[in-house]
Amino acid sequence: MKPRRALRRGAFTPYLFLAPGLVLFALFRVYPLLEGLWLSFTNARLGRAQQTFVGAANYLRLLDDTRFHVSLVNTAYYTIASTVPILAVPLVLAVALNRGVALKTFLRGAFFFPFTLSVVTVGLTWLWLLDPVIGPSTYYLRAAGVPVRSWLADPGTAMWAIIVTTVWWVTGYYLVIYLAGLQDIPRELYEAAAIDGAGGWRSFWSITMPLLRPVFLFVLVTHVIGSFQIFGQVFVLTNGGPGDATRTVVQHLYETAFQNFFHFGSASAMAWVLFVIILVFSLLQFRLLRGHTQY
Amino acid sequence: MNRTGRSWRAALTALMVALAIVWLLPAVWVLVTSLKLTENIVRVPPEWIPWPATIEHYGEVLFSSSRTARIGRAFLNSIVVSLGSVALVVLTSAMAAYPLARMRFRGRNLVFGLIVGSLMIPNAVVLVPQYVLVQRLGWLSTYQGLIVPEAAMTFAFGVFLLRQFFLTIPSELEDAARIDGADPWQIFTRIVLPLSQPVLGALAIFAFRSAWNDFLWPLIAVNKPDMFPLPVALALLRGAYAAESYGPIMAGAVLSALPLLIVFVVANRRIVEGVRVSALKG
Repeated sequence: MKPRRALRRGAFTPYLFLAPGLVLFALFRVYPLLEGLWLSFTNARLGRAQQTFVGAANYLRLLDDTRFHVSLVNTAYYTIASTVPILAVPLVLAVALNRGVALKTFLRGAFFFPFTLSVVTVGLTWLWLLDPVIGPSTYYLRAAGVPVRSWLADPGTAMWAIIVTTVWWVTGYYLVIYLAGLQDIPRELYEAAAIDGAGGWRSFWSITMPLLRPVFLFVLVTHVIGSFQIFGQVFVLTNGGPGDATRTVVQHLYETAFQNFFHFGSASAMAWVLFVIILVFSLLQFRLLRGHTQY
Repeated sequence: MNRTGRSWRAALTALMVALAIVWLLPAVWVLVTSLKLTENIVRVPPEWIPWPATIEHYGEVLFSSSRTARIGRAFLNSIVVSLGSVALVVLTSAMAAYPLARMRFRGRNLVFGLIVGSLMIPNAVVLVPQYVLVQRLGWLSTYQGLIVPEAAMTFAFGVFLLRQFFLTIPSELEDAARIDGADPWQIFTRIVLPLSQPVLGALAIFAFRSAWNDFLWPLIAVNKPDMFPLPVALALLRGAYAAESYGPIMAGAVLSALPLLIVFVVANRRIVEGVRVSALKG
């Protein structure tokens, strides 16, 4: 009797440990995900108690929602245009910092600092810097002879202002990740390459880049998942304008659900379209980059 | 060779220091603006030394009874929400990660797989249903309506991070305690948790940062101005002022940056370590 009771008590132990976390996880992650899928097939609205099943109507409506199309194009444009600077700027800084530079901890901290700020603080900072009348960037660029425009009010440059802002914000985060990746590369490889007569440039392309591939994969997947959900910078800097030039999917979703139409059904449909796009992109990137990580 | 190597390094260091200073200039500009008299803020060319300096903008956003008084209140709200979320996520994810690292039971791989898989769920995707849920619970514009969802967003990452760490603790320590008659809870609280302080600290900082800085969820989950956390209050503060009244807004921005700046200066190394470990999941 006694060993059996001990066994039963022992058998419950793991579940008791797991219980609080699993309740949190099930209620606030798993359930909303499924509830969102259900809502996307209903006519749910804010404040409407009853909702009815409407089939694929919300998804079909997205086919005609030109604002949704514009926001998808904008989001894709932002994601693609920001990928090169987000991959390259932190990499260049990390490689430089990894070359025996003095004050490395201080320098790393300086570049990392903006990442500790909230997206709103970052947005307000750049709003002020880019102020077309009294912002310092306006003054210095004009002094340097650059034709200054109101960057955020010009449809041709507004998205680029958002990209610059984002690069400033997140570079430190990816810099730290690249630095960790660089430090994991065995020094002997560079020494062997140097003996074989390879210069710095050659060993960068033949050793550093291939061995950083898993880090690239991480940065790329993280960046793409984040980019498809960009919201805060846009909300603060342009609020989607001028016109619809910087309106993104999450912003359109937010406005559909909570500002203009309170239409939870079609907002949920947008969310699931976004989710599928993000999943497809992530899996594609894994496939493209994974198979080659062995060296 | 050695000498050229050294001077090359010095040049690179100088270049990187210059770059780092340029990188920090936007933040410096915010601080400088917040300390200037209102009439000096709009001066062109830009003045980088706030003289005569003033703290009137800070007083205004923190204490004045006007529309901006809410920054002081929002600061308190953010502290409560962030600390609450840190406590909840550290507790639940440590308790969940321990059996996932150390015990054998049915469904272990399934549970762990689901939790890690959920890292792929974008927060924006659960926004609307989470709102519906929180509304049904009567939690809109409450602390728990912010704390619990923020904790849920970080939970999966916490489980992953802590499980990886628990796996590295030598199991002999726990075996010895078990022979001495300690039960699993005692082993967890008296051996595993004390040994895990660095990684628990890293998780706490990570969770604090994400709760302190989150914007989208509180933007929709709170509609009483008294309950706004800082990012929402700041974003709305901008609309409350004329276009060129940057002083109070920048004072608010500086205040919002302070807690993490302090944490960051004190625990620079730990933050970096946390980021590094979080990246290993890729």
